[in-house]
Amino acid sequence: MAIIETKNLTYTYPSVTKPSIIDVSIKIEKGEFTLITGPSGCGKTTLCRCFNGLIPHFYQGELKGEIVVAEINPIEHPIYELATHVGLVFQNPDNQLFALSVEKDVAFGLENLGVPREKMRERVDSALNLTGIFDLRERAPHELSGGQQQRVAIASVLAMQPELIILDEPTSFLDPLSAKNIFEVIYELNRKLGITVVLVEHRLDLIARYADHIIIMDEGKVVLNGETREILRSEEARLIGVGVPKATHLYQILRKDGVKLADTIPLTSDEMAKLLREALKAQ
Amino acid sequence: MSVFDGLKFRKVYSPIHNLDPRIKFVYVCAIFVVAIIFWELLPLIILFVIQIPFVLLAGVKRQWLRSMRGAALLATIIFLTNFIATFIGAGYTVTARNLENAIAMTLRFIVLVESFSIFFLTTSPDHLGLALEQTHIPYEFCFAFTTAVRFVPVLAEEAQTIMDAQKARGLELERGNFLKRIRNYIPILIPLIVSAIRRSLELAEAMESRAWGATKKRTNLYVLKMHRGDSVLVAITIGILATAIYVYLFFKVPSLNELIGSLF
Repeated sequence: MAIIETKNLTYTYPSVTKPSIIDVSIKIEKGEFTLITGPSGCGKTTLCRCFNGLIPHFYQGELKGEIVVAEINPIEHPIYELATHVGLVFQNPDNQLFALSVEKDVAFGLENLGVPREKMRERVDSALNLTGIFDLRERAPHELSGGQQQRVAIASVLAMQPELIILDEPTSFLDPLSAKNIFEVIYELNRKLGITVVLVEHRLDLIARYADHIIIMDEGKVVLNGETREILRSEEARLIGVGVPKATHLYQILRKDGVKLADTIPLTSDEMAKLLREALKAQ
Repeated sequence: MSVFDGLKFRKVYSPIHNLDPRIKFVYVCAIFVVAIIFWELLPLIILFVIQIPFVLLAGVKRQWLRSMRGAALLATIIFLTNFIATFIGAGYTVTARNLENAIAMTLRFIVLVESFSIFFLTTSPDHLGLALEQTHIPYEFCFAFTTAVRFVPVLAEEAQTIMDAQKARGLELERGNFLKRIRNYIPILIPLIVSAIRRSLELAEAMESRAWGATKKRTNLYVLKMHRGDSVLVAITIGILATAIYVYLFFKVPSLNELIGSLF
């Protein structure tokens, strides 16, 4: 069953003539791990804002087409109604934490919803445990590292128990190791709790292995949309400027040069190494 | 950055820190009232001394001394104006009584600073926000308050970055006369304001995404409860107030001169 479905979605920001997303028709299934990627300014962030009602409620502008998220039409329902179904994590961790302690920040959404205190405490603690920051709960957000802050941001949407979490370039302020840890946390949430994940990300090298579904956008349009390995098999993705995983790129080059490799396209160095080993043994 | 250090609250646990901020505030107000109604030196000395145990109990002696040192300049000015005014008023003679009055006025100021600094040194902004919320002040104001406190270090850091960037491009901050120096800060203020506005938009977006305004009946993760310590402070406050009013109405407080005079 689709959790997000859009048909011919087109949106123009106020006081701009050119639409930021054009005719976007996509379907994201429940429980999927979806990756949205594409060059900067291609409309990824705008699309994310449509998913939780920031567009059109916060940004006004002109929205055309159809959109249904978690069986709710974001155009007709206020943002806070969607907030219990859709969690949105932003790029800059500094600007999405506003309380003076971590646990207060995680509780913020629940406080807004008027959840009773005992229940709130339970849900806050479980969100802190899931993201591995229970020990930091009394610290001030500005004392934490970027990676820890981003975990707090994830915990704070997780506490609202959404069916869908959208992360808009959550690791662009982080070093590779912290980014890898964040991706692992996200993957766990997807696999263990069955939360649908939509991740906007450039670093396919680190994340392609987790994704079930890839959507590639360019200049406001969806250009490629499908199963991860299928999409990365084509040369097209790389030509748009998407940083395909190095292992995948190497596979493409070797195949073109006539090296006989198995048909499953590799997404990680390990998978590539395995393919090469098999190929060498066969010779 | 040292200017902003004072605004960063360090989490410490002490019997004083754990007190309900509302009770502490009432206590500060009571001290304030008592300090205002007495003109004589003796009760002010008593007020000054009875607050020292609070400082020691809270373990904030060093910060407290620093804030008292900060008040020293103003205290000196208060002393000098009072002293010179009475000196002229008394026909250019120094009397023990004049001197005592000037000291009393200064001490009154010091007592006020003392009690307020105890309050702010031992109350976390989080607690203060909570107290505001539970006294039924609209949540928007409480939120604005805690967010402002939260972003002081962030903006301070940003100001430093902008200053470094502008200096690297040849901006000289310490140059020229007073007016010129103020003008030098424009290239720092404008980027700072622009980025603060941008930041506030992002914050608003994050708040909206986390169900801001979903219900009028907002709940809170923490709740302020009265403990035994709070009852003790209530008793102390009532005791101080009652004694002060009783003494004020039914006794003539002797000045220190008279007191010393009657001893010999």
